[in-house]
Amino acid sequence: MSEIAHQDHIEKKAFLVNSSSLKDVRVFCREVFEKLHIQEDLKDELVLAIAEAAQNIVKHAFKNSASPTELMVVQISCENNKLQIAFYDRGTPVDPKKVKHREIDNVKPGGLGTFFIQEIMDAVEFKDGKKPWINHLVLTKQL
Amino acid sequence: MSYKVTEEGNISTVHLDGEIDMDVTEKAKEVIFPVIDSGKEVHLNLSQVQYMDSSGISVLIESHQRALEKSTKVIIKDVSKSVLKVIMMAKLEQILNLE
Repeated sequence: MSEIAHQDHIEKKAFLVNSSSLKDVRVFCREVFEKLHIQEDLKDELVLAIAEAAQNIVKHAFKNSASPTELMVVQISCENNKLQIAFYDRGTPVDPKKVKHREIDNVKPGGLGTFFIQEIMDAVEFKDGKKPWINHLVLTKQL
Repeated sequence: MSYKVTEEGNISTVHLDGEIDMDVTEKAKEVIFPVIDSGKEVHLNLSQVQYMDSSGISVLIESHQRALEKSTKVIIKDVSKSVLKVIMMAKLEQILNLE
């Protein structure tokens, strides 16, 4: 847990649902975490977790075939030193029971994104998406 | 992501530069796999890669496994601290050849 009191802050941004947006997602996160004065090592981990979640939207919720104008929204908020990152998309509804990472000792390509998210964040929660959204993922981390 | 391939004797070195994510993994494979298929020992220099996600890690695993199939090896060289952290998070530091 951080000894720094991080300023309360909320910021969100919409991105096109495609793999080339992942870099923009990372840039957005890094900018917000700079404002929050999050230390470098933790910032790298959080950026990875967020980028993995965004990647899952592109790859799984939309199966790499979103329409060119389809959007996903990433919202980062910090309140009382609790960081919350929310994702909104209109892809295929996610069944949380089916979201599993591969066995970590079974070395093969793929299946690590969800593992990274779970390793880095304190909690991962799929909530009901309110219109117009279908999926609403919330990642939290106590700073 | 940009890249450079150099050859010295029986060693081919692939220098990758930039951030390795899902958007560039196909390009990375197009660069690395033919070098592995040539049967030479491949050095993958990651000194200029400051970010790698699970897709990039998959490329490293696939490269490692492909090299084993071709009876050669891939050695990952000069890994940045940030990428090493991701490799270690995936518990691959004992699986991949790191130098």
